[in-house]
Amino acid sequence: MSWLLATLRSSVGKKFVMGGTGLFLCFFLVVHLAGNLLLYAGPDAYNSYANKLHENVALLIVAEIGLFGAMLLHIYLAFVTASENRAARGATDYAMRQSKIPGRVIHVAGLAPDTTMYITGALIFGYIALHLCDFKFEVFADAAQLAADPYTKAAMVLSSTSRKVIYAIAAIVVGIHVSHGFASAFQSLGLNHPKYMPTIKTISKVFGVAVAIGFGSFVTWDGQRRCGCESPATMETAPTTMPSTAPAAATESAPAPTTPAETVPQS
Amino acid sequence: MSHSTTGKTLNLKLRVWRQKDNASRGEFRDYALVGISTEMSFLEMLDILNEQLLQQGEEPVNFDHDCREGICGTCSLMINGQAHGPDNGTTTCQLHMRRFHDGQMITIEPWRAKAFPVIRDLVVDRSAFDRIIQAGGYVSVRTGQAPEANSVPISKNDQESALDAAVCIGCGACVASCKNASAMLFVAAKVSHLAQLPQGAPERAARVLGMVGQMDSEEFGNCTNTSECEAACPAGVSVTHIARLNREYAKALYGSPLGLKGELLTSSGTGGD
Ligand code: SF4
Ligand code: FES
Repeated sequence: MSWLLATLRSSVGKKFVMGGTGLFLCFFLVVHLAGNLLLYAGPDAYNSYANKLHENVALLIVAEIGLFGAMLLHIYLAFVTASENRAARGATDYAMRQSKIPGRVIHVAGLAPDTTMYITGALIFGYIALHLCDFKFEVFADAAQLAADPYTKAAMVLSSTSRKVIYAIAAIVVGIHVSHGFASAFQSLGLNHPKYMPTIKTISKVFGVAVAIGFGSFVTWDGQRRCGCESPATMETAPTTMPSTAPAAATESAPAPTTPAETVPQS
Repeated sequence: MSHSTTGKTLNLKLRVWRQKDNASRGEFRDYALVGISTEMSFLEMLDILNEQLLQQGEEPVNFDHDCREGICGTCSLMINGQAHGPDNGTTTCQLHMRRFHDGQMITIEPWRAKAFPVIRDLVVDRSAFDRIIQAGGYVSVRTGQAPEANSVPISKNDQESALDAAVCIGCGACVASCKNASAMLFVAAKVSHLAQLPQGAPERAARVLGMVGQMDSEEFGNCTNTSECEAACPAGVSVTHIARLNREYAKALYGSPLGLKGELLTSSGTGGD
């Protein structure tokens, strides 16, 4: 078992775990985004997907153990390596730093994706905690939300301005994180080839942008108004945003203020 | 001291790190230099500074140098926050003063890493690299006389890639420029060089486990794939070799008796914690 210990303790082994768990979490992002995109297909498609997923308890348990396990390992090693890396510089830091990578000029504050992984990672961790409270543990949900179907639930959570802002920022931060992380994982796992690496790096950046836009798009999603026409649950809790229950009128009321609806999830 | 040989000369302000020894606290000291020829190398400029300091009865600035032609890897300065100065693929000794402009302020610092303690001023102790080499960066077979060159066939790709790694001069700029002070590029250069040649193949598992173990116990940082090392490396060693090091490590750790039994790992591989 010493090889297992070495995996978690040697510098290269730690990067294997970091890269492996990172790629697994990237895979999860893809599945998650694909599922979420069904929101655009309407309540029926999304609800049947969500219900099917939740009926399969065994799959759900395995997936959740895998996800939480990967996340915890990823975060644990982030702490370990970050503190080792800080210590490795020694007591005195440079008074001046400049990148030598052609086309990149960084300072110590280095605001490039690859130099801010720890910061973006920490932000994502905070976001995931909130996201789980919103959707999984439903900490802030009122009775109406608890009783609502998955589609309406999503609409209710996303109707709050605070959530719109936080979810949009989080989507961008996740995009930045994976734009370096995806390609970096390949390098850490030794999967580098002069011929394919430029492609992997491009895919990584495209993936980052896709994640940011894909997840970020849901804050502009008008499901709240659309489902308002069909679901009495939303009607009760956020009547002010729905001046009319007629589908046509609801679509017309595009500038419906989101502020009153903010009170729906008590954040 | 007529050091302005040709037309163009520079007046410079230098901020130099001065530190008596490892136990003392260091500090920046400012110096002014007048009439530095643009034809001079950076180290020649420092020679002028030291002559000036000696004349003033001050202790000269200590800095490492030897070949002064870019092959030994002894020179090592962080110049305005860049390892070996602003040029890519260049050692400090090959850097010329024409890269600077009149009146410029130049900040000169030693390599900064816990594993490279300052000995004096700009000189750091890089023997951590020697200990990493001793942990496996060699081929320990008796080769006897030089064999017939064509009796050991090596493909052109392997040979070129091995030599691309072998060009490492062990200067430590990779460590100095890395935000994590990681020595991965140096170790990768050595491992990748020998792993691709038949002479190095028999010991490849022991080599990579031993060298990574020693690197970790010297308390260098972990690689986060920012590629600053590659940009700072005067020999142009590519981070592709780091990926090969990672592959070698995986093969050795999970696919060799040494790795599976945990030899070479427990003694040094877990050091530093
Ligand atoms: S890899 Fe490059 S920067 Fe690092 S020690 Fe070797 S020559 Fe110097
Ligand atoms: S002094 Fe030898 S490489 Fe610079």
